[in-house]
Amino acid sequence: MASIGLINYATFMGTMIGIYGVLALGLNIQWGVTGLFNAGIAGFFAVGAYLSALITASPSPERIMGWELPVAVGWLGAMAGAALIAWPIGRICLRFRSDYLAIATIGVAEVIRLVLRTEEGLSGGARGITGVPRPFGGLEYSLSQFAYFALVIAVLLVVYWALERQLAAPWGRMMKAIRDNEQAAAAMGKNVEKRRLEAFVLGAAVMGLAGALYVHFMRAITPEAIDPMIATFLVWIMLILGGSGNNRGAILGAIIVWIIWSMSEFITDQLPAEIATQAKYIRVFLIGLMLQLILRFRPEGLLPEESGQRTSPHLPPSR
Amino acid sequence: MKKKILASLSALALGGAIASAPAMAQNVKVAYLVAITGPIAGMAPMMVQSMKFAAEQVNAQGGIGNGGKLDPQVYDSGCNPQLATDAATKAVNVNGVIGIVGPSCSGPVIAVANSVSVPAGVLLVTSSGTSPKISTLDDKDLVFRTVPSDDYQGRALARALKARGIDKVAVTYLNNDYGLGLAEAFADEFQKQGGTITASRAHEDKKASYRSDLAELAKGGADTLVVFAYGNSSGLTILRQAIENGFFKNFVGADGMRDEGMVKTLGPDNLKPLLVSAPAGATGAGFEKFGKDFKATGGDPNGTFAATSYDAAFLMALAIEKAGGDKAKLPQALREVATAPGEPILPGEWAKAKKLIAEGKDIDYKGAAGDHEFDAHGDVPGSYILYKVSSSGFAEVERMK
Repeated sequence: MASIGLINYATFMGTMIGIYGVLALGLNIQWGVTGLFNAGIAGFFAVGAYLSALITASPSPERIMGWELPVAVGWLGAMAGAALIAWPIGRICLRFRSDYLAIATIGVAEVIRLVLRTEEGLSGGARGITGVPRPFGGLEYSLSQFAYFALVIAVLLVVYWALERQLAAPWGRMMKAIRDNEQAAAAMGKNVEKRRLEAFVLGAAVMGLAGALYVHFMRAITPEAIDPMIATFLVWIMLILGGSGNNRGAILGAIIVWIIWSMSEFITDQLPAEIATQAKYIRVFLIGLMLQLILRFRPEGLLPEESGQRTSPHLPPSR
Repeated sequence: MKKKILASLSALALGGAIASAPAMAQNVKVAYLVAITGPIAGMAPMMVQSMKFAAEQVNAQGGIGNGGKLDPQVYDSGCNPQLATDAATKAVNVNGVIGIVGPSCSGPVIAVANSVSVPAGVLLVTSSGTSPKISTLDDKDLVFRTVPSDDYQGRALARALKARGIDKVAVTYLNNDYGLGLAEAFADEFQKQGGTITASRAHEDKKASYRSDLAELAKGGADTLVVFAYGNSSGLTILRQAIENGFFKNFVGADGMRDEGMVKTLGPDNLKPLLVSAPAGATGAGFEKFGKDFKATGGDPNGTFAATSYDAAFLMALAIEKAGGDKAKLPQALREVATAPGEPILPGEWAKAKKLIAEGKDIDYKGAAGDHEFDAHGDVPGSYILYKVSSSGFAEVERMK
């Protein structure tokens, strides 16, 4: 019992890490490689999650769609949907500099969240969507968990591989050039606005895929799941901690933050009962402390960007 | 750095493994999943306290089985599905709990049931998930709740009005989860009973005037207006303007309209034609006993979800005792201890219940928040009381069915 239990727990954690890893990879394209401060991750995550749920769940008189299509279609739909939402947002907002872009994307994510929360006919409103199928969901508990874990990790690896290819190509170098010195890149004849839009849409599509992975794991989606704390800022912490600009850093950040987030509860349980309730807040504190320490002692993250040319976007590039 | 982190992580994992080894074979672990952090953190301390209070009573009066103790593990579910499923996975797989009390909030209940507790065959009793969606989950009879679904009050009110001979009503409701949920359930049941809803309109909160809404609603010719809103906000304005302009003769509201401030503002004489429904949680012998005992330990029995949380924890303990600690028999045992017939058990009467179970007699728990006669979905019907306005506030008219 105990060892099977531990494996089940590790499987669950691995699946969540895989989902957050995909999210962090999506953010890495936008922030790490292109320098776009997207503070609206939850919005694209939500679009992906709801869309995939609507495409694959069975129909319900309370809301639209419910097409019962295969899960793979749902995933593709989630990516396409998030990209479609990102395109007009990018067209309008990418003209802003980083901090204004952050404000605009936060606003967009809140709009998406509130629409999903209130539009009963679209998303089930506050009650959300249930009955979303899970691949291998019919198997016995441990097996089903493990099969889905393997699937999520496979998706994570595919996304990682594709992004690595993309970043190693001239496109990746061009993005870094734009990030580090926009004027210079423009002077070299690069279409800065178009490239930034490409990165923004690509990142959003990856975030939408993460939303789809999540919704089929939980078999349901309610507005609580797209809270900015858990779907935006936690992802930022993962990327900054792991090392922005480095895809492996993004995944490492997801691993470390989720493990600390989840496992610290075992430690707080060892505290005396009188303060055990308050001690649950230690988890939140630990994440914050970790971020502070990293920013103080290793601002480039645990696995910094590899080219060696990278400096903080706020400093002039080194020669 | 990386190695250090890995080392500390494996230490963590090891710590978790050691902590999960059972201290005494006959002790029984249950998980209390409460949203200690997050949006409803303000309610959580009283929920945790009332659950732990139930466990203390169990352990003080003989514990579980033959000398074992109930060993509650408190987890943070954060009112968020990611955190709640994580906590539930730890509870079920690492700490080996055989039942879950909680989690808080409806979204997490759905996520935990779907992806952890039902697949793993663990009984779940929530004390604060009120969404009607929880009723229709494919739960293999493993999901129960001690708090009534939002659905019930609207239906009970519809039946009560029909029984009082009211056949034609107009409905206006606040455009949020609360108002919409009540209005939908009410409309469905009222029409099933043969009543007519002449008009139904959502309204937005905090407007200065609802006269145009009221004029539209009055067109259908009903002389009764049902208002699902809050009596300290839009409900107050609607009533005042409807009375001033004579749009309707009679008014009906749900628990949001049971507001003493509203009676003071409008005057009890003007509100004579008003009837409101409200949950009967805070009445009855079960609640009195729980209230007295819980207050003595420094708790607030009227705290939101305190009584339902206590009942969920106490029922879980009764079910474990009845099932002899066998996980597979828990749902059936829960139904047996909670529903009639049987010897009535009030909150805190653990020793009596334990003795009766040992003798093989059937028991029927009459809890702090109600009788908990579970239906096929594992829902409790909830009991509601219809009130009218009196000079001093509200007076009971009847118990609704």
